[in-house]
Amino acid sequence: MKHPIYTTFGALLIALLVAAEVRGWTAMRPTEVKNIPRSIRDNPGAYRPHYRTFFGSGHYMRGK
Amino acid sequence: MTGTVIPSAARSAESRDLHLRHGERVDVTARTADCPNCGATIEFRWSSAVQTVCPYCKAVLVRRDLDLEKVGMVSDLPPTSSPIQLGTEGRWQEDGFVVVGRIVYRYDRGGWNEWYLRTMRGGSAWLSDAQGDLAISAPATSGIALPAANALQVGQSYAIDDTLFRVASLTRARYAGIEGELPFESWNRDEALFADLDTDGNGDTLRFATIDYSDGSPVAYVGTYVELDQLAARNLRRIEGW
Amino acid sequence: MSAPTVTSLSCPQCGAAIELRTLDQALSVVCSSCGSILDARDPNLHVLQEFQARQKFTPQIPLGTRGTLKGEKWEVVGYQVRGITVDGTTYYWDEYLLFNPYKGFRYLTQYDGHWNDVQVLKAAPAEQMTGRQPYVTLHDEKFKHFQTATAETYFVLGEFPWQVRVGDTAVTRDFVAPPRMLSEEQTPEETTWSLGTYMPAAQIWTAFGLPGKPPHARGVYANQPDAYMPLAGSMAKRYLLFVAVIAALILIRLVTASRETVFATNSAFFKPGAPADSLAFVTPTFTVSGRTANLEVTTEAQVDNGWAYFEYALVNEATGTTYEFGREVSYYYGRDSDGAWSEGSRRDRAVLPSVPPGQYFLRVAPEAQVPTSFLEYRIIVRRDVPTLTPYLICLALLALPPIFVALRAWGMESARWKESDYAPSGDDDDDE
Repeated sequence: MKHPIYTTFGALLIALLVAAEVRGWTAMRPTEVKNIPRSIRDNPGAYRPHYRTFFGSGHYMRGK
Repeated sequence: MTGTVIPSAARSAESRDLHLRHGERVDVTARTADCPNCGATIEFRWSSAVQTVCPYCKAVLVRRDLDLEKVGMVSDLPPTSSPIQLGTEGRWQEDGFVVVGRIVYRYDRGGWNEWYLRTMRGGSAWLSDAQGDLAISAPATSGIALPAANALQVGQSYAIDDTLFRVASLTRARYAGIEGELPFESWNRDEALFADLDTDGNGDTLRFATIDYSDGSPVAYVGTYVELDQLAARNLRRIEGW
Repeated sequence: MSAPTVTSLSCPQCGAAIELRTLDQALSVVCSSCGSILDARDPNLHVLQEFQARQKFTPQIPLGTRGTLKGEKWEVVGYQVRGITVDGTTYYWDEYLLFNPYKGFRYLTQYDGHWNDVQVLKAAPAEQMTGRQPYVTLHDEKFKHFQTATAETYFVLGEFPWQVRVGDTAVTRDFVAPPRMLSEEQTPEETTWSLGTYMPAAQIWTAFGLPGKPPHARGVYANQPDAYMPLAGSMAKRYLLFVAVIAALILIRLVTASRETVFATNSAFFKPGAPADSLAFVTPTFTVSGRTANLEVTTEAQVDNGWAYFEYALVNEATGTTYEFGREVSYYYGRDSDGAWSEGSRRDRAVLPSVPPGQYFLRVAPEAQVPTSFLEYRIIVRRDVPTLTPYLICLALLALPPIFVALRAWGMESARWKESDYAPSGDDDDDE
């Protein structure tokens, strides 16, 4: 086989690609938090997200 | 890095029948005779040799049937590095040959050897040998109208043996020595004109043609460049150090 | 017949012994003591040219050295230094004449550490095309014109089968088809063609048993074989194979991705100025089915010269696992001296990775800064959407090795032709 290194590199990359597509990997990294209580349904306004940095314009309007 | 273009061979009219001076045809099968000059026994490799050089005293001898007549002397030929020598045998085009004679030529830019070959089938050919380049040629078989010496020009094309050849160079050479058996009386010749012609190479065989004006009227020869290995040569000269 | 001995002669200028290695084939021989060029055909060795070289050179392969090339024995019998002058600078090269009585003559040339094995051809190449870049053909191989120059002989040693003189000039034309090169030499007397084959210096050193290591070759020589071009070609072919595979994968993905819409709001509105906590809401629960796959959340908001920010939390009703993320939508437009312009987009698409199947709802907290008092928006959630980015990244990464090799090949070819009559700067060409 010609170019064994390149072909192996390509095969691995494509395998990685297939795995990513099958598992649903994307570039996004949302903050994952466990065990959010059901009370959020009753008072959505009181919920505070757990990440510190904000996307977009960085504006954050707190209540009050 | 200037090399020399392979020069042509000087031959006599091989296509003419071999005639003795008195018009009798040669029909000799004897293989030995005595040198009239020094008495040594001369063995002939070719039964129909017209002329030979005594290898011992260098007398040029012309054959009159079984008798040999001395017509001149030749000086020692300079030592040569050519691997070919008298008695070298080989094969070419499914025919065996033996080297029986040699002519040495010189011209303004060098020299070369023309070895005269006799083949098993009774034919003959010339093996030219210059700077390690070997070529075998034989008289052209198809009769064509060849130009006169003064009409020759480099670049002209002529059809010889169904192939179109182009004049590549013109060489004026002179005889610098002879050895062995030759098919003509030649020892007192001076200068001769040769035309070298080439043709487009096809594959690995490179053919060439020569027009020989040494006899006055032109005679055409067609040949092929060969390597020594291709000739299955035996009895080559032992070259010191090689 | 006796075997000939090497003739011993003496130089008429200085009396030194002259040894002829090629016997009857040498036409000129250089006296190694006084440098006079003598007529080798003359038993008295009359002088053809007295020593005239301005500079003395020493051959890297000494005269008389024997070596084996391609299974044949060869002896170095002659040495020449020749050169061409370009823009006042003379570029010298060596020519070694090799001899074997059964094979004839052969040459080795050396320039800047590059060696060539050269044989004189018995006939000129078959075809010759003139034009912008002329070429000649030999045995169906095309040789491109590389350089035309006038070569001068500067120094000679040993013996030669022709009459050599210091100061001899010849018009040379070189044509290349790496690793081979066809060279034509024209003098007033004749034109000769030779075929050269590039030979690595290490091979020469081994063949002649020379001590040490050969000097490094500088630059790329005219007919130096292409190290990278064939590699670049075959790697490009391998890349195309990868492209085909990835294209097939894309097709399969496009066909098999479910793109199921699991939740969508109808058009909704909110008042941008209202307090943030009052704007937050939760969506009804929706089912995310199938295997663990991505989840796309599309936010569309009709912002006109303003922005809207949506704080999301995707909550798994059964496990309580929540994915928090925020997305912004902004769109600005106007007219200026160059015409209409716009910036941003009214739609944002976020693709969440590896969301397990289950019952989910979204907690949304929007905020906005827009000129209007009401902002219309929509949220659409889709399951298992195809994305092009990973495939493009893969294609880009796989392209790197062939591109790298192609750049090396191009670099090498560039360096090769820089020395020719066709160099891009083009100001140091010789007569043509």
